[in-house]
Amino acid sequence: MTAVIEVTDLARTYGKVAAVSDVSFSIEENSICGLLGRNGAGKTTLMRLVTGQEFASAGEIRVFGENPVENAGVLARTCFVRESQVYPDGFRGKHVLRAAAHLFPNWDADYAARLVDEFRVPLDRRMKKMSRGQRSSVGVIIGLASRAELTLLDEPYAGLDAVARELFYDHLLRDYSENPRTIVLSTHLIDEAARLLEHVLVVDNGSLLMDAAADDLRGTAVTLVGSHNSVERFATGRPVLGWESIGGLSSVTLTGLSDADKADAVAAGLELAPVSLQQLIVSRTRGAQEA
Amino acid sequence: MTAIATPRVATARRIGTTLRIHAANPWAIVYTPWLILMGVFLLNFSIWHLVLRAAGDRGVNPDAFHYNGGVSWVLFYMVVVAVQAMNQTFSFVVGLGATRRDYFLGTAVLFVGLSLMYGVGIAAFAGLERATDGWGVSGWFFAPWTFATMPLWEVAVVYTLVMLFMFFGGSTVAAVFVRWGANGIILFFASVAVLIVASLYAITQLEAWDAVGQFFSGRDAIQLALMSLVVTVAAGFVGYALMRRATPKG
Repeated sequence: MTAVIEVTDLARTYGKVAAVSDVSFSIEENSICGLLGRNGAGKTTLMRLVTGQEFASAGEIRVFGENPVENAGVLARTCFVRESQVYPDGFRGKHVLRAAAHLFPNWDADYAARLVDEFRVPLDRRMKKMSRGQRSSVGVIIGLASRAELTLLDEPYAGLDAVARELFYDHLLRDYSENPRTIVLSTHLIDEAARLLEHVLVVDNGSLLMDAAADDLRGTAVTLVGSHNSVERFATGRPVLGWESIGGLSSVTLTGLSDADKADAVAAGLELAPVSLQQLIVSRTRGAQEA
Repeated sequence: MTAIATPRVATARRIGTTLRIHAANPWAIVYTPWLILMGVFLLNFSIWHLVLRAAGDRGVNPDAFHYNGGVSWVLFYMVVVAVQAMNQTFSFVVGLGATRRDYFLGTAVLFVGLSLMYGVGIAAFAGLERATDGWGVSGWFFAPWTFATMPLWEVAVVYTLVMLFMFFGGSTVAAVFVRWGANGIILFFASVAVLIVASLYAITQLEAWDAVGQFFSGRDAIQLALMSLVVTVAAGFVGYALMRRATPKG
Protein backbone atom coordinates (compact mmCIF):
# COMPACT_ATOMS: atom_id res chain seq x y z
CA MET A 1 0.00 0.00 0.00
CA THR A 2 1.16 3.51 -0.72
CA ALA A 3 0.05 6.64 1.03
CA VAL A 4 -1.68 9.24 -1.14
CA ILE A 5 -1.76 11.83 1.63
CA GLU A 6 0.96 12.13 4.26
CA VAL A 7 0.64 14.87 6.84
CA THR A 8 3.33 15.50 9.45
CA ASP A 9 3.09 17.85 12.44
CA LEU A 10 0.74 20.09 10.51
CA ALA A 11 -0.46 23.35 12.05
CA ARG A 12 -2.49 26.27 10.77
CA THR A 13 -3.03 29.30 12.96
CA TYR A 14 -5.02 32.45 12.26
CA GLY A 15 -3.61 35.07 14.57
CA LYS A 16 -3.97 33.47 17.98
CA VAL A 17 -6.52 30.89 16.89
CA ALA A 18 -5.19 27.43 16.08
CA ALA A 19 -7.50 25.92 13.45
CA VAL A 20 -5.26 22.88 13.11
CA SER A 21 -2.50 21.99 15.50
CA ASP A 22 0.10 19.25 15.44
CA VAL A 23 -1.78 16.86 13.19
CA SER A 24 -0.08 13.82 11.63
CA PHE A 25 -1.73 11.07 9.61
CA SER A 26 -1.56 9.30 6.31
CA ILE A 27 -4.27 8.05 3.98
CA GLU A 28 -3.74 4.94 1.91
CA GLU A 29 -4.34 4.66 -1.80
CA ASN A 30 -7.75 3.38 -2.93
CA SER A 31 -9.65 3.65 0.30
CA ILE A 32 -12.62 5.60 1.59
CA CYS A 33 -11.72 7.63 4.63
CA GLY A 34 -14.16 9.49 6.84
CA LEU A 35 -12.99 12.81 8.24
CA LEU A 36 -15.29 13.34 11.18
CA GLY A 37 -15.66 15.91 13.89
CA ARG A 38 -17.89 18.64 15.23
CA ASN A 39 -18.54 21.97 13.56
CA GLY A 40 -15.41 24.08 13.61
CA ALA A 41 -13.23 21.10 14.49
CA GLY A 42 -10.92 21.84 11.57
CA LYS A 43 -12.17 19.39 8.93
CA THR A 44 -12.54 21.95 6.15
CA THR A 45 -9.24 23.65 7.02
CA LEU A 46 -7.51 20.27 6.84
CA MET A 47 -8.99 19.58 3.40
CA ARG A 48 -8.05 23.05 2.18
CA LEU A 49 -4.50 22.49 3.40
CA VAL A 50 -4.27 19.12 1.68
CA THR A 51 -5.43 20.67 -1.61
CA GLY A 52 -3.00 23.58 -1.38
CA GLN A 53 -5.74 26.19 -1.05
CA GLU A 54 -4.66 27.12 2.44
CA PHE A 55 -1.07 27.61 3.57
CA ALA A 56 0.37 25.62 6.46
CA SER A 57 1.82 27.56 9.40
CA ALA A 58 4.04 24.61 10.31
CA GLY A 59 4.56 21.02 9.37
CA GLU A 60 4.56 19.16 6.10
CA ILE A 61 1.97 17.90 3.62
CA ARG A 62 2.70 15.38 0.87
CA VAL A 63 0.05 14.47 -1.69
CA PHE A 64 1.15 11.83 -4.21
CA GLY A 65 4.57 12.36 -2.62
CA GLU A 66 4.75 16.07 -3.42
CA ASN A 67 3.89 19.40 -1.85
CA PRO A 68 0.40 20.23 -3.19
CA VAL A 69 0.76 24.03 -3.03
CA GLU A 70 0.75 25.45 -6.58
CA ASN A 71 1.51 21.97 -7.88
CA ALA A 72 -0.43 21.52 -11.12
CA GLY A 73 0.57 17.85 -11.43
CA VAL A 74 -0.87 17.02 -8.01
CA LEU A 75 -3.96 19.21 -8.31
CA ALA A 76 -4.92 17.73 -11.69
CA ARG A 77 -5.23 14.36 -9.93
CA THR A 78 -7.27 15.87 -7.11
CA CYS A 79 -10.89 16.94 -6.88
CA PHE A 80 -12.11 18.91 -3.87
CA VAL A 81 -15.82 19.53 -3.57
CA ARG A 82 -17.06 21.58 -0.69
CA GLU A 83 -20.37 22.76 0.56
CA SER A 84 -19.39 26.41 0.58
CA GLN A 85 -17.94 26.54 -2.94
CA VAL A 86 -18.12 30.05 -4.41
CA TYR A 87 -19.66 30.43 -7.89
CA PRO A 88 -19.23 33.48 -10.12
CA ASP A 89 -22.31 35.71 -10.46
CA GLY A 90 -24.59 34.57 -13.21
CA PHE A 91 -23.12 31.07 -13.39
CA ARG A 92 -25.79 28.44 -14.01
CA GLY A 93 -25.55 24.74 -13.31
CA LYS A 94 -24.51 24.04 -16.89
CA HIS A 95 -21.68 26.59 -16.70
CA VAL A 96 -20.33 24.91 -13.58
CA LEU A 97 -20.36 21.46 -15.18
CA ARG A 98 -18.77 22.88 -18.33
CA ALA A 99 -15.99 24.36 -16.19
CA ALA A 100 -15.50 21.05 -14.37
CA ALA A 101 -15.29 19.22 -17.70
CA HIS A 102 -12.39 21.47 -18.72
CA LEU A 103 -10.66 21.27 -15.38
CA PHE A 104 -10.61 17.53 -14.70
CA PRO A 105 -8.61 15.40 -17.15
CA ASN A 106 -10.66 12.23 -16.39
CA TRP A 107 -14.08 13.91 -16.60
CA ASP A 108 -16.82 11.49 -17.74
CA ALA A 109 -19.45 13.61 -19.48
CA ASP A 110 -21.91 10.73 -20.04
CA TYR A 111 -21.76 9.77 -16.40
CA ALA A 112 -22.26 13.41 -15.39
CA ALA A 113 -25.33 13.64 -17.65
CA ARG A 114 -26.81 10.49 -16.10
CA LEU A 115 -26.22 11.85 -12.60
CA VAL A 116 -27.88 15.15 -13.53
CA ASP A 117 -30.98 13.15 -14.49
CA GLU A 118 -31.00 11.03 -11.38
CA PHE A 119 -30.37 13.90 -8.97
CA ARG A 120 -32.83 16.09 -10.91
CA VAL A 121 -30.51 19.09 -11.07
CA PRO A 122 -31.99 22.12 -12.89
CA LEU A 123 -28.95 22.93 -15.02
CA ASP A 124 -30.47 26.11 -16.43
CA ARG A 125 -30.95 27.63 -13.01
CA ARG A 126 -28.44 30.09 -11.58
CA MET A 127 -26.35 28.58 -8.79
CA LYS A 128 -27.46 31.40 -6.50
CA LYS A 129 -31.12 30.54 -7.06
CA MET A 130 -30.69 26.82 -6.40
CA SER A 131 -31.70 25.29 -3.12
CA ARG A 132 -28.98 24.08 -0.80
CA GLY A 133 -29.74 20.51 -1.81
CA GLN A 134 -29.53 21.29 -5.50
CA ARG A 135 -26.20 23.04 -5.03
CA SER A 136 -24.96 20.03 -3.08
CA SER A 137 -26.11 17.78 -5.93
CA VAL A 138 -23.97 19.78 -8.37
CA GLY A 139 -21.03 19.26 -6.02
CA VAL A 140 -21.70 15.54 -5.74
CA ILE A 141 -21.87 15.22 -9.53
CA ILE A 142 -18.53 17.00 -9.88
CA GLY A 143 -17.01 14.78 -7.19
CA LEU A 144 -18.15 11.57 -8.90
CA ALA A 145 -17.78 12.43 -12.60
CA SER A 146 -14.33 14.03 -12.18
CA ARG A 147 -12.95 10.53 -11.47
CA ALA A 148 -10.01 12.14 -9.72
CA GLU A 149 -7.48 9.81 -8.15
CA LEU A 150 -7.92 11.72 -4.92
CA THR A 151 -11.42 13.03 -4.26
CA LEU A 152 -12.20 15.10 -1.19
CA LEU A 153 -15.83 15.70 -0.37
CA ASP A 154 -16.55 18.20 2.37
CA GLU A 155 -20.10 17.81 3.71
CA PRO A 156 -21.14 16.78 0.19
CA TYR A 157 -24.79 16.21 0.95
CA ALA A 158 -25.78 19.16 3.10
CA GLY A 159 -29.45 19.78 2.40
CA LEU A 160 -29.93 16.63 0.33
CA ASP A 161 -33.07 14.63 1.00
CA ALA A 162 -32.91 10.99 2.08
CA VAL A 163 -33.55 9.69 -1.46
CA ALA A 164 -30.73 11.76 -2.91
CA ARG A 165 -28.40 10.72 -0.09
CA GLU A 166 -29.08 7.04 -0.75
CA LEU A 167 -28.49 7.71 -4.43
CA PHE A 168 -25.17 9.29 -3.56
CA TYR A 169 -24.04 6.37 -1.35
CA ASP A 170 -25.00 3.87 -4.04
CA HIS A 171 -23.23 5.76 -6.79
CA LEU A 172 -20.17 6.36 -4.68
CA LEU A 173 -19.82 2.66 -3.82
CA ARG A 174 -20.53 1.45 -7.33
CA ASP A 175 -18.23 3.92 -9.05
CA TYR A 176 -15.57 3.36 -6.43
CA SER A 177 -15.57 -0.38 -7.06
CA GLU A 178 -15.41 0.16 -10.83
CA ASN A 179 -12.86 2.99 -10.70
CA PRO A 180 -10.94 2.61 -7.44
CA ARG A 181 -9.62 5.85 -6.06
CA THR A 182 -8.90 7.53 -2.78
CA ILE A 183 -11.88 9.26 -1.25
CA VAL A 184 -11.91 11.48 1.80
CA LEU A 185 -15.39 12.28 3.04
CA SER A 186 -16.29 14.66 5.82
CA THR A 187 -19.77 14.36 7.22
CA HIS A 188 -22.00 14.85 10.22
CA LEU A 189 -24.19 11.88 9.34
CA ILE A 190 -21.77 9.33 10.68
CA ASP A 191 -24.11 6.35 10.98
CA GLU A 192 -25.43 6.82 7.47
CA ALA A 193 -21.96 6.96 6.00
CA ALA A 194 -20.51 4.34 8.33
CA ARG A 195 -20.99 1.48 5.89
CA LEU A 196 -18.92 3.32 3.29
CA LEU A 197 -15.99 4.12 5.51
CA GLU A 198 -12.93 1.95 5.67
CA HIS A 199 -10.88 4.32 7.73
CA VAL A 200 -11.83 7.04 10.17
CA LEU A 201 -10.07 10.21 11.21
CA VAL A 202 -11.71 12.21 13.96
CA VAL A 203 -10.63 15.77 14.63
CA ASP A 204 -11.64 17.90 17.54
CA ASN A 205 -10.53 21.44 18.29
CA GLY A 206 -7.94 21.23 15.55
CA SER A 207 -6.29 18.09 16.90
CA LEU A 208 -6.47 14.54 15.70
CA LEU A 209 -8.48 12.48 18.17
CA MET A 210 -8.74 9.14 16.38
CA ASP A 211 -7.00 7.54 13.43
CA ALA A 212 -8.15 3.97 12.96
CA ALA A 213 -9.66 1.44 10.60
CA ALA A 214 -13.43 1.61 10.85
CA ASP A 215 -13.73 -2.10 11.59
CA ASP A 216 -11.23 -1.88 14.44
CA LEU A 217 -13.10 1.06 15.93
CA ARG A 218 -16.42 -0.71 15.87
CA GLY A 219 -14.92 -3.53 17.91
CA THR A 220 -13.22 -1.33 20.48
CA ALA A 221 -16.21 -0.11 22.40
CA VAL A 222 -19.12 -1.87 23.91
CA THR A 223 -22.09 -0.81 26.00
CA LEU A 224 -22.94 -2.79 29.11
CA VAL A 225 -26.41 -2.64 30.57
CA GLY A 226 -27.43 -3.94 33.98
CA SER A 227 -28.32 -2.98 37.51
CA HIS A 228 -26.65 0.13 38.77
CA ASN A 229 -24.49 -1.73 41.29
CA SER A 230 -23.20 -4.43 38.98
CA VAL A 231 -22.42 -1.90 36.25
CA GLU A 232 -20.52 0.28 38.68
CA ARG A 233 -18.62 -2.69 40.10
CA PHE A 234 -17.55 -3.80 36.62
CA ALA A 235 -16.71 -0.37 35.23
CA THR A 236 -14.58 0.89 38.09
CA GLY A 237 -11.00 1.26 36.99
CA ARG A 238 -11.79 0.82 33.29
CA PRO A 239 -11.77 3.54 30.58
CA VAL A 240 -15.36 4.81 30.53
CA LEU A 241 -16.65 6.69 27.50
CA GLY A 242 -20.18 7.31 28.64
CA TRP A 243 -22.52 6.61 31.49
CA GLU A 244 -26.29 6.72 31.70
CA SER A 245 -28.70 5.77 34.46
CA ILE A 246 -32.45 5.40 34.43
CA GLY A 247 -34.01 4.24 37.69
CA GLY A 248 -32.05 1.28 38.95
CA LEU A 249 -30.65 0.50 35.51
CA SER A 250 -27.36 1.81 34.21
CA SER A 251 -25.56 1.56 30.94
CA VAL A 252 -21.90 2.26 30.50
CA THR A 253 -19.81 2.47 27.36
CA LEU A 254 -16.32 1.11 27.76
CA THR A 255 -13.33 0.79 25.50
CA GLY A 256 -10.50 -1.68 25.43
CA LEU A 257 -12.45 -4.74 26.54
CA SER A 258 -10.85 -8.07 25.66
CA ASP A 259 -12.93 -11.13 24.88
CA ALA A 260 -12.18 -12.40 28.39
CA ASP A 261 -13.45 -9.09 29.82
CA LYS A 262 -16.63 -9.44 27.83
CA ALA A 263 -17.12 -12.98 29.15
CA ASP A 264 -16.64 -11.65 32.66
CA ALA A 265 -19.26 -8.99 32.04
CA VAL A 266 -21.76 -11.56 30.84
CA ALA A 267 -20.96 -13.70 33.89
CA ALA A 268 -21.65 -10.63 36.08
CA GLY A 269 -25.15 -10.48 34.64
CA LEU A 270 -24.56 -7.56 32.29
CA GLU A 271 -25.99 -7.28 28.81
CA LEU A 272 -23.62 -6.42 25.97
CA ALA A 273 -24.72 -4.08 23.19
CA PRO A 274 -22.67 -2.97 20.20
CA VAL A 275 -21.75 0.69 19.92
CA SER A 276 -22.36 2.45 16.62
CA LEU A 277 -19.59 4.48 15.08
CA GLN A 278 -21.60 7.62 15.71
CA GLN A 279 -22.13 6.87 19.42
CA LEU A 280 -18.47 6.02 19.80
CA ILE A 281 -17.32 9.25 18.19
CA VAL A 282 -19.83 11.38 20.05
CA SER A 283 -18.75 9.97 23.39
CA ARG A 284 -15.08 10.26 22.49
CA THR A 285 -15.34 13.90 21.40
CA ARG A 286 -17.42 14.70 24.44
CA GLY A 287 -14.85 12.99 26.61
CA ALA A 288 -12.08 15.00 25.01
CA GLN A 289 -13.94 18.18 25.81
CA GLU A 290 -14.37 17.29 29.47
CA ALA A 291 -10.81 16.10 29.92
CA MET B 1 -11.33 -2.79 -12.35
CA THR B 2 -8.22 -0.73 -12.69
CA ALA B 3 -7.11 2.20 -10.65
CA ILE B 4 -7.48 5.59 -12.28
CA ALA B 5 -4.49 7.12 -14.03
CA THR B 6 -4.45 10.81 -14.81
CA PRO B 7 -2.87 12.05 -18.05
CA ARG B 8 -0.37 14.89 -17.77
CA VAL B 9 -1.76 18.20 -18.94
CA ALA B 10 0.59 20.79 -20.40
CA THR B 11 0.74 24.35 -19.06
CA ALA B 12 -0.74 25.82 -22.24
CA ARG B 13 -3.80 23.56 -21.96
CA ARG B 14 -4.27 24.46 -18.30
CA ILE B 15 -4.11 28.18 -19.09
CA GLY B 16 -6.65 27.53 -21.84
CA THR B 17 -8.85 25.87 -19.23
CA THR B 18 -8.99 29.06 -17.14
CA LEU B 19 -9.76 30.99 -20.29
CA ARG B 20 -12.63 28.65 -21.17
CA ILE B 21 -14.06 28.83 -17.67
CA HIS B 22 -14.11 32.62 -17.93
CA ALA B 23 -15.85 32.24 -21.28
CA ALA B 24 -18.30 29.61 -19.96
CA ASN B 25 -20.67 32.48 -19.28
CA PRO B 26 -19.92 35.05 -22.01
CA TRP B 27 -22.65 37.43 -20.90
CA ALA B 28 -20.66 39.21 -18.22
CA ILE B 29 -17.55 39.79 -20.30
CA VAL B 30 -18.77 40.14 -23.90
CA TYR B 31 -22.50 40.39 -24.56
CA THR B 32 -23.58 42.70 -21.74
CA PRO B 33 -20.84 45.34 -22.25
CA TRP B 34 -21.52 45.51 -26.01
CA LEU B 35 -25.28 45.67 -25.50
CA ILE B 36 -24.97 48.48 -22.99
CA LEU B 37 -22.46 50.32 -25.17
CA MET B 38 -24.89 50.11 -28.08
CA GLY B 39 -27.68 51.28 -25.78
CA VAL B 40 -25.67 54.29 -24.66
CA PHE B 41 -24.85 55.05 -28.30
CA LEU B 42 -28.51 54.87 -29.37
CA LEU B 43 -29.46 57.20 -26.52
CA ASN B 44 -26.79 59.68 -27.63
CA PHE B 45 -27.93 59.33 -31.21
CA SER B 46 -31.52 60.13 -30.14
CA ILE B 47 -30.35 63.14 -28.14
CA TRP B 48 -28.43 64.50 -31.14
CA HIS B 49 -31.59 64.30 -33.21
CA LEU B 50 -33.60 65.88 -30.42
CA VAL B 51 -31.15 68.78 -30.25
CA LEU B 52 -31.19 69.21 -34.04
CA ARG B 53 -35.01 69.20 -34.04
CA ALA B 54 -35.09 71.79 -31.26
CA ALA B 55 -32.49 73.97 -32.97
CA GLY B 56 -34.51 73.85 -36.20
CA ASP B 57 -33.37 76.25 -38.91
CA ARG B 58 -30.87 77.98 -36.65
CA GLY B 59 -28.79 74.77 -36.65
CA VAL B 60 -26.01 73.94 -34.19
CA ASN B 61 -22.30 74.64 -34.07
CA PRO B 62 -20.49 72.26 -36.42
CA ASP B 63 -18.53 70.81 -33.47
CA ALA B 64 -21.51 70.61 -31.09
CA PHE B 65 -21.42 66.79 -30.97
CA HIS B 66 -17.67 66.39 -30.90
CA TYR B 67 -17.35 65.98 -27.17
CA ASN B 68 -18.73 62.78 -25.77
CA GLY B 69 -17.68 60.47 -22.95
CA GLY B 70 -20.22 57.72 -23.53
CA VAL B 71 -17.63 55.20 -24.62
CA SER B 72 -15.63 55.62 -21.42
CA TRP B 73 -18.39 53.69 -19.69
CA VAL B 74 -17.15 50.42 -21.12
CA LEU B 75 -13.62 51.25 -19.96
CA PHE B 76 -14.74 51.56 -16.36
CA TYR B 77 -16.97 48.52 -16.64
CA MET B 78 -13.79 46.52 -17.23
CA VAL B 79 -12.68 47.42 -13.71
CA VAL B 80 -15.82 45.63 -12.51
CA VAL B 81 -14.98 42.62 -14.68
CA ALA B 82 -11.46 42.60 -13.23
CA VAL B 83 -12.75 42.79 -9.65
CA GLN B 84 -15.21 39.95 -10.31
CA ALA B 85 -12.42 37.88 -11.82
CA MET B 86 -10.22 38.28 -8.76
CA ASN B 87 -12.98 37.90 -6.23
CA GLN B 88 -15.41 35.25 -7.45
CA THR B 89 -13.86 33.47 -10.39
CA PHE B 90 -10.59 33.09 -8.49
CA SER B 91 -12.38 31.38 -5.61
CA PHE B 92 -14.32 29.19 -8.02
CA VAL B 93 -11.45 28.07 -10.24
CA VAL B 94 -8.78 27.71 -7.55
CA GLY B 95 -11.45 26.19 -5.29
CA LEU B 96 -12.02 23.51 -7.91
CA GLY B 97 -8.31 22.72 -8.07
CA ALA B 98 -6.43 24.98 -10.49
CA THR B 99 -3.12 26.51 -9.40
CA ARG B 100 -3.04 30.24 -8.74
CA ARG B 101 -0.36 30.53 -11.41
CA ASP B 102 -2.48 28.90 -14.12
CA TYR B 103 -5.46 30.96 -13.05
CA PHE B 104 -3.47 34.20 -13.20
CA LEU B 105 -1.89 33.44 -16.58
CA GLY B 106 -5.24 32.37 -18.06
CA THR B 107 -6.89 35.50 -16.72
CA ALA B 108 -4.07 37.70 -18.07
CA VAL B 109 -4.56 36.15 -21.51
CA LEU B 110 -8.30 36.84 -21.17
CA PHE B 111 -7.62 40.48 -20.27
CA VAL B 112 -5.33 40.93 -23.28
CA GLY B 113 -7.88 39.24 -25.55
CA LEU B 114 -10.78 41.34 -24.28
CA SER B 115 -8.73 44.55 -24.54
CA LEU B 116 -7.89 43.76 -28.16
CA MET B 117 -11.50 42.86 -28.96
CA TYR B 118 -12.89 46.05 -27.45
CA GLY B 119 -10.03 48.23 -28.75
CA VAL B 120 -10.33 46.98 -32.32
CA GLY B 121 -14.13 46.82 -32.09
CA ILE B 122 -14.50 50.41 -30.94
CA ALA B 123 -12.02 51.53 -33.61
CA ALA B 124 -14.12 49.69 -36.21
CA PHE B 125 -17.22 51.56 -35.09
CA ALA B 126 -15.15 54.77 -35.16
CA GLY B 127 -14.35 53.93 -38.80
CA LEU B 128 -18.05 53.55 -39.54
CA GLU B 129 -18.64 56.81 -37.70
CA ARG B 130 -16.17 58.61 -39.96
CA ALA B 131 -17.48 56.96 -43.14
CA THR B 132 -21.00 58.17 -42.32
CA ASP B 133 -19.70 61.63 -41.41
CA GLY B 134 -20.70 61.19 -37.78
CA TRP B 135 -23.84 59.10 -38.33
CA GLY B 136 -25.14 61.82 -40.62
CA VAL B 137 -25.24 64.45 -37.88
CA SER B 138 -21.53 65.10 -37.17
CA GLY B 139 -21.89 63.14 -33.96
CA TRP B 140 -18.69 61.64 -32.62
CA PHE B 141 -19.31 58.88 -30.12
CA PHE B 142 -16.71 56.16 -30.65
CA ALA B 143 -13.81 58.51 -31.44
CA PRO B 144 -14.75 61.88 -29.97
CA TRP B 145 -12.55 64.77 -28.86
CA THR B 146 -8.84 64.37 -29.75
CA PHE B 147 -9.53 60.87 -31.05
CA ALA B 148 -11.44 62.41 -33.97
CA THR B 149 -8.22 63.38 -35.73
CA MET B 150 -6.22 60.25 -34.95
CA PRO B 151 -5.69 57.49 -37.50
CA LEU B 152 -7.96 54.52 -36.77
CA TRP B 153 -5.11 52.19 -35.87
CA GLU B 154 -4.04 54.68 -33.21
CA VAL B 155 -7.59 54.77 -31.86
CA ALA B 156 -7.48 50.97 -31.57
CA VAL B 157 -4.08 51.03 -29.85
CA VAL B 158 -5.05 53.72 -27.33
CA TYR B 159 -8.33 52.02 -26.39
CA THR B 160 -6.59 48.66 -26.08
CA LEU B 161 -3.86 50.09 -23.85
CA VAL B 162 -6.28 52.03 -21.63
CA MET B 163 -8.38 48.90 -21.30
CA LEU B 164 -5.34 46.83 -20.32
CA PHE B 165 -4.56 49.44 -17.68
CA MET B 166 -8.11 49.19 -16.33
CA PHE B 167 -7.94 45.38 -16.22
CA PHE B 168 -4.59 45.02 -14.52
CA GLY B 169 -4.97 48.07 -12.28
CA GLY B 170 -8.45 46.92 -11.26
CA SER B 171 -7.38 43.34 -10.63
CA THR B 172 -4.44 44.43 -8.51
CA VAL B 173 -6.67 46.58 -6.31
CA ALA B 174 -9.06 43.62 -6.11
CA ALA B 175 -6.15 41.37 -5.12
CA VAL B 176 -5.41 43.78 -2.26
CA PHE B 177 -9.02 43.30 -1.18
CA VAL B 178 -8.84 39.51 -1.49
CA ARG B 179 -5.72 39.44 0.67
CA TRP B 180 -6.45 42.08 3.30
CA GLY B 181 -10.13 42.94 3.04
CA ALA B 182 -11.65 46.39 3.48
CA ASN B 183 -8.83 47.60 5.72
CA GLY B 184 -6.32 46.78 3.00
CA ILE B 185 -8.31 48.84 0.48
CA ILE B 186 -8.53 51.81 2.85
CA LEU B 187 -4.80 51.69 3.48
CA PHE B 188 -4.11 51.27 -0.23
CA PHE B 189 -6.12 54.31 -1.32
CA ALA B 190 -4.81 56.35 1.60
CA SER B 191 -1.26 55.58 0.44
CA VAL B 192 -2.14 56.51 -3.14
CA ALA B 193 -3.62 59.82 -1.96
CA VAL B 194 -0.57 60.58 0.16
CA LEU B 195 1.70 59.74 -2.77
CA ILE B 196 -0.20 62.04 -5.13
CA VAL B 197 -0.21 64.96 -2.69
CA ALA B 198 3.46 64.36 -1.94
CA SER B 199 4.39 64.48 -5.62
CA LEU B 200 2.28 67.62 -6.15
CA TYR B 201 4.06 69.16 -3.20
CA ALA B 202 7.46 68.11 -4.56
CA ILE B 203 6.71 69.51 -8.01
CA THR B 204 5.63 72.83 -6.51
CA GLN B 205 8.63 72.95 -4.20
CA LEU B 206 11.00 72.29 -7.09
CA GLU B 207 9.09 74.78 -9.27
CA ALA B 208 8.91 72.08 -11.88
CA TRP B 209 5.36 72.65 -13.13
CA ASP B 210 6.59 74.02 -16.46
CA ALA B 211 8.69 70.94 -17.05
CA VAL B 212 5.75 68.69 -16.18
CA GLY B 213 3.49 70.63 -18.51
CA GLN B 214 6.01 70.40 -21.34
CA PHE B 215 6.47 66.71 -20.72
CA PHE B 216 2.78 65.98 -21.22
CA SER B 217 1.89 68.57 -23.86
CA GLY B 218 4.84 67.47 -25.98
CA ARG B 219 3.34 64.01 -26.29
CA ASP B 220 0.31 62.77 -28.15
CA ALA B 221 -2.32 60.35 -26.89
CA ILE B 222 -0.59 57.27 -28.21
CA GLN B 223 2.70 58.10 -26.49
CA LEU B 224 0.89 58.68 -23.20
CA ALA B 225 -1.04 55.43 -23.64
CA LEU B 226 2.20 53.58 -24.29
CA MET B 227 3.62 55.04 -21.10
CA SER B 228 0.65 53.59 -19.19
CA LEU B 229 1.94 50.20 -20.26
CA VAL B 230 4.74 50.55 -17.71
CA VAL B 231 2.18 50.96 -14.92
CA THR B 232 0.04 48.16 -16.36
CA VAL B 233 2.90 45.68 -16.42
CA ALA B 234 4.00 46.70 -12.92
CA ALA B 235 0.41 46.24 -11.68
CA GLY B 236 0.39 42.79 -13.27
CA PHE B 237 3.50 41.71 -11.37
CA VAL B 238 2.22 43.14 -8.09
CA GLY B 239 -1.16 41.47 -8.63
CA TYR B 240 0.50 38.12 -9.25
CA ALA B 241 2.68 38.46 -6.15
CA LEU B 242 -0.43 39.22 -4.06
CA MET B 243 -2.40 36.34 -5.52
CA ARG B 244 0.30 33.77 -4.95
CA ARG B 245 -0.59 33.88 -1.26
CA ALA B 246 -4.34 34.41 -1.57
CA THR B 247 -6.79 31.72 -0.47
CA PRO B 248 -10.12 31.04 -2.18
CA LYS B 249 -13.19 32.03 -0.20
CA GLY B 250 -15.76 29.61 1.10
